[in-house]
Amino acid sequence: MTWRHERDLARRALDTARTRGASYADVRFVRRATEAALVKNGRIENVDRGDTAGFGVRAIADGAWGFAASQLATAEEAQRVAALAVEIAKASAITKLADVHLAELAPAVATYETPVKTDPFALAFEERIGLVVAAEEALRAQPGLRTTRARYAIQREEKLFLSTEGADIAQVLTECGGGIAAEATGNGELQIRTYPDGLRFQNAGGWECLSEWDLTMNAPRVAEEAVALLSARTCPQDVRTTVILTGNQLSLQCHESCGHPIELDRALGTEAAFAGTSFLTTEKLGTFRYGSDEINIRIDSTSPRGLGTFGFDDEGVPGSEGWAIKDGTFVGYLMSRETAAALGMASNGTMRADGWSCLPLIRMTNVSVMPGRAGTLDDLIADTDDGILMDTNRSWSIDDRRLNFQFGTEVGWEITKGRRGDMIRNPTYTGVTPEFWGSCDAVCSEGEWVMWGTPNCGKGQPGQAAHTGHGAAPARFRGVRVGVVR
Amino acid sequence: MWGETELRRIAEEALRQADGDSAEAVIVARTGSLTRFANAAIHQNVSALEAGLRVRVVRGTRVATQATDRLDTEGIAAVARSASELAKIVPENPHFGGLPRPRPIAPAPSSFVERTATASALDRAKAVKRICDPAKAQRLRAAGFVATNVQEVAVASTLGTWAYSPETTSEVQVAAIGDAGSAFAHRVSLDFGTLDVSGAAEEAIAKAARAQGPLDLTPGEHEVILEPYAVRDIVAFLGQQLTGLAVEEGRSFVAGRLGQKITGPVTLVDDPFDGDGLARAFDFEGQPSDRIALIEDGIARAVVYDSATAHRTGNRNTGHALFPNAFQPAAAMHLRLEPGTRSREELIRGVRRGVLVTRFWYTRWVHQLRTVVTGMTRDGTFAIEDGEIAYPVKNFRFTQSYHEALAGTRDIGRDLALLLPAESFGIQASSQRVPAIHLASFNFTGATAY
Repeated sequence: MTWRHERDLARRALDTARTRGASYADVRFVRRATEAALVKNGRIENVDRGDTAGFGVRAIADGAWGFAASQLATAEEAQRVAALAVEIAKASAITKLADVHLAELAPAVATYETPVKTDPFALAFEERIGLVVAAEEALRAQPGLRTTRARYAIQREEKLFLSTEGADIAQVLTECGGGIAAEATGNGELQIRTYPDGLRFQNAGGWECLSEWDLTMNAPRVAEEAVALLSARTCPQDVRTTVILTGNQLSLQCHESCGHPIELDRALGTEAAFAGTSFLTTEKLGTFRYGSDEINIRIDSTSPRGLGTFGFDDEGVPGSEGWAIKDGTFVGYLMSRETAAALGMASNGTMRADGWSCLPLIRMTNVSVMPGRAGTLDDLIADTDDGILMDTNRSWSIDDRRLNFQFGTEVGWEITKGRRGDMIRNPTYTGVTPEFWGSCDAVCSEGEWVMWGTPNCGKGQPGQAAHTGHGAAPARFRGVRVGVVR
Repeated sequence: MWGETELRRIAEEALRQADGDSAEAVIVARTGSLTRFANAAIHQNVSALEAGLRVRVVRGTRVATQATDRLDTEGIAAVARSASELAKIVPENPHFGGLPRPRPIAPAPSSFVERTATASALDRAKAVKRICDPAKAQRLRAAGFVATNVQEVAVASTLGTWAYSPETTSEVQVAAIGDAGSAFAHRVSLDFGTLDVSGAAEEAIAKAARAQGPLDLTPGEHEVILEPYAVRDIVAFLGQQLTGLAVEEGRSFVAGRLGQKITGPVTLVDDPFDGDGLARAFDFEGQPSDRIALIEDGIARAVVYDSATAHRTGNRNTGHALFPNAFQPAAAMHLRLEPGTRSREELIRGVRRGVLVTRFWYTRWVHQLRTVVTGMTRDGTFAIEDGEIAYPVKNFRFTQSYHEALAGTRDIGRDLALLLPAESFGIQASSQRVPAIHLASFNFTGATAY
């Protein structure tokens, strides 16, 4: 896109905001194109395309925030929306306790584009749908399945950001993902296996992000495991044991119990009524023992393939890399310009909005557990006397300070004397965040590390869904409480 | 507001441009305004005008949908053209039974109130002040939101369907937070003028004052009183399983059990004509929505259907299609758990030793077929002793079959709370009306530190 028309409208909006009394304003134009297809039980269940475009204006007036948005890209509407944002800000000011203060930022004039090998939108539709049709058909070769699914999703988001400070940033972000799922029912059970990670796996990049996973080749194994789970042993009930989590499960464990508590808005109480607060309160920064020495967790919006990879966040702050947890110690938050200023720091660029109609919030970028030295998953199993290997998330829940959690996975395997043994169904584990990460004594090496993605992270009121990245490799935890399903 | 005339014009223009055997246009137009506060001050304050058009084009058994929010002539033509082109090349779906034919839609009570539609940012900010000021006076930090929403839903098809519903909602949520405990209250009204902002503030503040300094209580099976905010969660999860698709996929607890006793003496209905809820007489395919008793005095009676699932499974379409999506085509959108006769205080007096739960948090399926859910209690959990609230307790984790919990229903409150679930697909599709409830047992499987 050239953005010529939108840039003109953005400048009009900024002028209107200034004229109406804004001390700061920014404008984001966003256009998002999507396509998703679901094949189920041998039929095309759904092929859905979307195209959404509009703009949002954020303004500070009388020391308080206002935001307004519209899909009508006209000069009159740009001025109306900017004036409304200022009016809303002035209404906000009747309860303010202090003026909003933003951390300093050098305004950027720049562009960014996700590296893409194969543009998914340029592929013939038949090629896209053909991949999931073939994968779903391969699942159905297995007798005994109740439901089979294969899905792909592609997205391209084009964004233009201008601010009264002089920023002018255009970005193009492309994502692609999908997966397969097999469900079997019987004996009062419903069991599911998926690949590579639910039907929600997604990366930043082109069609290669999905095609490289070879869904069709993996379908027979996935289908067979779903049926086998019906007659598998139930997870041992309410015992403590060693647990090895595969990379995709560890990525969600990291998302829920590290990614969210390091959001500085939560720590400062501004999400208290909904998403909650954080046990990682500000006095703990730099000193709190979050996990064992094996635990190194990175905040990085520059990682290849990460759903949280971009050139600039939605405040115009450049992508960055740093540590959240270093050698087990809590050392870094996800920050906005406003929250960073509260700590006397600079923003590390984590403000992101779910499209044009939403206000940017602090969101995870790529929050990744860095690889360790434990070799391959097979090496780690061989090094484990007794325990359970748990793979691919099925259930997740955590308290509003991000301490007490409970996860379930699709499948488990008993580990006995260094060997993977019988399959286990309905595996669950529960714990308290710092104790759990403190019990980690091994993380697999770089060869096992994968950039996973969570394209459905909910936060905010009105609700927003963010796309976040989480690199992880399998890891081992000692003395974990498992099996709490009555 | 776009108005019925303009939305009909847009829909008909889209259908005229569509190239297929039949076509459908669904429009949801909204202005959502939400004023959010925390630490006793407004920190996020938004208003967004959004209108989306979704066109579904059918060619034989080939079906494609495309959505846009460009509602000018060019945008409407582009979305209709693109959906039509896609419908030529998507593989066939031999199970597709065609778009539903129009049926008469009975009138429902109006869900539109003008003064909600015209509420301003200043109106909402003043409401927030009515919460924050008394909270500050009690040395509590208030957080939450005040929102007003205007929504118009319109459905048209080339088969002759036309349905239109203008709707408003206003809503306040309050968490009152002290140094060692918090409490929550929630109110909903179609009319911003009658939204009980002060009532919500008083409830949260009074409960928060009692919630400070929670004590340890050993997890395990406890008798419970669940406030309506927690009951809403149970109703919502069970509602997900009371659909034709859930039965077809073998994940519903009522599959093969219609006509059988599945809970205690509770009655759960889906009532699109409930004038005290967000009434809407049709679904997102423009079909008339039936009032349906899903569970009647503990006996599983029915599930809800959209047209495609009804056709595929040989059942009658009950008119419960959601906004077109891949995973959840139908839902009960007007759930009501029928009330009992006891006041909240009478329910509590009926418990010798138990737990009062204000609300649940982060609830997720553990085992769908058995309706086992895990989650946390939050914002006001108390021990009950000898029929009175005795002291606050630290929050629990629970892992509990929801329908089995209802098997132990001892009593039901007489007052129904109108509550709104979070929006799905950017739409306020549903509302729920639920009472407080007294259950014989609830399985708390862990506890947290606060």
